[in-house]
Amino acid sequence: MKDYVRFFDKFTFALLLLLALAGILLIYSAGYFTRETHYLKQAAWLLVSLAGFFAVFSLKIDFLFRTSFAVYATLLVILALQLAVGGTVARTKSWFRLWGIGAQFSEFVKVPLAIYLARLLAQYEKMDGWAFIKVLAIILVPVALIVLQPDMGVSFILCSFIPLVILLKKVRPTVLVVSFLLVLLGGIVGWQSVLKPYQKDRIISFMNPSEYKTSTGYHVIQSKIAIGSGGLNGKGFMKGSQSRYEFLPARHTDFIVSVIGEELGFVFIGILFFVFFLLFYRQFHFSFQNDEEFYFVYLFNGLILFQFLVNVSMAIGFFPVLGVSLPFVSYGGSSLLSFFVGEAIIFRVKINNYLA
Amino acid sequence: MYLSKRKLPPEFVKKAAAVSTVFLAVAFTAIFVAFWSIQIVHNVTYRQLAIRNITRTVPLPAPRGMVVDRFGAVIAENKINFTLYLVRENVEDMDKTITRASFFSGKSVDEVRAIIAKYKKHASFYRIPVKSNLPLGTVIFIQSRQDEFPEFEIGQEPSRTCPQAELAAHVLGHISEVSEEELDAAPPGAYHLGDYVGRSGVEKQYESFLKGMKGAQTVIKNSVEKIQEISGESKPEIGDTIVLTLDLGLQRYIEELLDGESGAVGVLDLKTGGILALVSKPAFDPEIFSAEMELEEWRAISSDPRKPLQNKFLQGIYSPGSVFKIVMALAGLQENVIGPGTTVSCSGSQMFYDRVFHCWNPGGHGVMNLFSALENSCNIYFYNLGRRMDIDTIARYARLLGLGDVSGIDLPNENGGLVPSSAWKLEAFRQRWFPGETISVAIGHGSLNVTPVQLLRMIATVALRGRMPRLHVLQRIEKQGRAVREFAPEFDQVPIAAENFEMVIEGLFRVVNGSGTGWGARVDGLDICGKTGTSQIIAKENPFYKRLTKEKKFMPHSWFVSFAPRKDPRLAMVVLVENGGDAGAIAAPLAGQIYRKYFENEGLR
Repeated sequence: MKDYVRFFDKFTFALLLLLALAGILLIYSAGYFTRETHYLKQAAWLLVSLAGFFAVFSLKIDFLFRTSFAVYATLLVILALQLAVGGTVARTKSWFRLWGIGAQFSEFVKVPLAIYLARLLAQYEKMDGWAFIKVLAIILVPVALIVLQPDMGVSFILCSFIPLVILLKKVRPTVLVVSFLLVLLGGIVGWQSVLKPYQKDRIISFMNPSEYKTSTGYHVIQSKIAIGSGGLNGKGFMKGSQSRYEFLPARHTDFIVSVIGEELGFVFIGILFFVFFLLFYRQFHFSFQNDEEFYFVYLFNGLILFQFLVNVSMAIGFFPVLGVSLPFVSYGGSSLLSFFVGEAIIFRVKINNYLA
Repeated sequence: MYLSKRKLPPEFVKKAAAVSTVFLAVAFTAIFVAFWSIQIVHNVTYRQLAIRNITRTVPLPAPRGMVVDRFGAVIAENKINFTLYLVRENVEDMDKTITRASFFSGKSVDEVRAIIAKYKKHASFYRIPVKSNLPLGTVIFIQSRQDEFPEFEIGQEPSRTCPQAELAAHVLGHISEVSEEELDAAPPGAYHLGDYVGRSGVEKQYESFLKGMKGAQTVIKNSVEKIQEISGESKPEIGDTIVLTLDLGLQRYIEELLDGESGAVGVLDLKTGGILALVSKPAFDPEIFSAEMELEEWRAISSDPRKPLQNKFLQGIYSPGSVFKIVMALAGLQENVIGPGTTVSCSGSQMFYDRVFHCWNPGGHGVMNLFSALENSCNIYFYNLGRRMDIDTIARYARLLGLGDVSGIDLPNENGGLVPSSAWKLEAFRQRWFPGETISVAIGHGSLNVTPVQLLRMIATVALRGRMPRLHVLQRIEKQGRAVREFAPEFDQVPIAAENFEMVIEGLFRVVNGSGTGWGARVDGLDICGKTGTSQIIAKENPFYKRLTKEKKFMPHSWFVSFAPRKDPRLAMVVLVENGGDAGAIAAPLAGQIYRKYFENEGLR
């Protein structure tokens, strides 16, 4: 037990706490003038997330991998059930009403899917055609279910596993081309039959935001104005006019980086980026006891990195507005819990490494 | 143990770590540079956009300047007017809103729709004026239920009011809403949709002084345009006060004298060239234009055959009739065609160029010299004078005395009239001038067309023995009680010898004080000089002349031009009564009454 305290990566954990606490402050600022209490809920969720973190941290790694298929299958069943009976919140079916607190269930797919994929990748010595297609299917089935909810953000983030698998397993080009064509075919079918008009609009609007002043393009423009007007030092905490006068959309969730940019300026944007950089750097660099651990660490870190880059690019109009939040910082309890649970496994892997 | 031992070679793990580091470095550099570009390089641009997002400048209308007479009596001022505004952005259900707007304003649903459609190019937060002059009851009703009607706003604005109603209406003129075309043509910010602009009279002439300076309120609004705070305000500045040369007391007296008639009167202060009274009948109430005019009302007033909107004093075109004999006499004397001793025998008619011309007195006047010819307005004398001069000489003198051209009075939309000449006829009809036409022109008929203001300027020039005054209605412009511009009298010299004027004035004196046509204007103790004129609507040669002229609308127009006193004259006057019949019977007595009133008052003051 003493060793667990000694070898626990306290520095990285401090980074995570720092991000989460900064998030609560920013959520407070973003909702202050509209008298919203999201920050209180987020604080409560942080406590839940920390509890979840230490609960998972205390589990044995091999238990997680052994039960991974069962957990994955259960998730698929729940997602399917949700589609059939899920409550509708803001035109999406992804919210479970649970003890009066809305939980975005699709967020909970990220960690179990990463664990199951890590196990599969460790099993296949060589990734031949069939194996790759099987892995693709394992990723795309939950993705499709989540698209149907519809939650564009989470499903898109889950797709980041595909390039990660390709990079990690060195898939043959011919296999890639065939799979790409298959996915493209599926995508076209999906676009024609599955996507709702407003979802299509969002993707189209990314191509030319100036032409969509009032809808999604408007959001990107307002976000850029917020960030750009912040300058080096920002307008001061809780003093951002874009945020205060409600020009910024979803400022406590998807566009929280715009609040930072406007109110705290480029200095704090730089600090935020540096904290994330340190986090990723530290979570990528250690040795492993076995292959599953390696794959999990790369898959899950890769996913966080991808989500971070998508969120930040979205705020400055380099990426479509898909409803992707900033990991650890944005408002969203399910997301926070999910990331802390995933981090718990990495921390455990790391400490096993020291103790071995 | 479920988990496999590590099979991956250590080089692979190391390589993966290295690749991740490189990727991190590249990705973070990219986003860092991207944010640097937006936040540091383009900071100024985005800061301006952020400010533009939240600030809105709301123009505050300026009250129009007052218009007062020479003694300070108010002709036009301002009152508070409540206007109903509609803000499209706060509309939840457009159909419901239009129904409400129609109810509040008393306008039809289609009218409301048309108003809203006019503003379709404006931003949705723009306040669309739906109805001005909102009754107080409606104002209270809407304001007490403001949260039920978030799309409506009540604005308080100054609006034009004319306490004297029709009095001096044609001098004041009217205002109306600025049109979209005018807005496009005007310099940016000068006018906004819904502003009023002068259309006629002083309101148009001195628009730039009257309109004042708009104020502005800078407000901070949120993304749904709710006002959060007022961050700055510049107060509107009331327009300048226009002090007119008019004497409203005299003006009122004349308007009452002419009640029921159609015509024009101008009274001129010969010392300054300032107009003391300017009457055009029938008149209109300028206030009906400032408020929202009903279509019916507009149709009625604009199609009235007596033309209440026309300022007959400077827009009405008439032949001068015998008044023109003044011009003929001056031209004849100056050109040495006649002298004081030149006589003509009048037998009631005479043949010129194979055509018989009549005097108005069928029995004839006998032997006439210049003075008796003027006194009796003998046509035969002036026919003969006309025959001895050519049309171009007559035209030259008519023009010298201000006929056939705008007088340049400081009121808009003046008509020029026409003085015929051989060159004019060649151009207009491609025909040479026939000498027979000159005979008609000699007694003020033919193609001659003048406005009352031209005759007023002509008689003023005669009164001043050749000094032609510049006519004006503006006395001075005051800014916050301080005069910023004062009208300085201006006179031009007409190249006609003073003794010629004296001779004509002797004739004009006899018109009123001898046994002449203008005896009706006589006032005891005042040396009035004048000349009557009758402007025929239908020719005397018309076989039905006698019968038709019993009908009012075919009766001739009646002129009387005059000045007084004979020595050191102070007043000049033109009186025109449309379809008044015999000039001596109608116009001259009116002038007499006006002189009596004016000089009585002068004594009192």
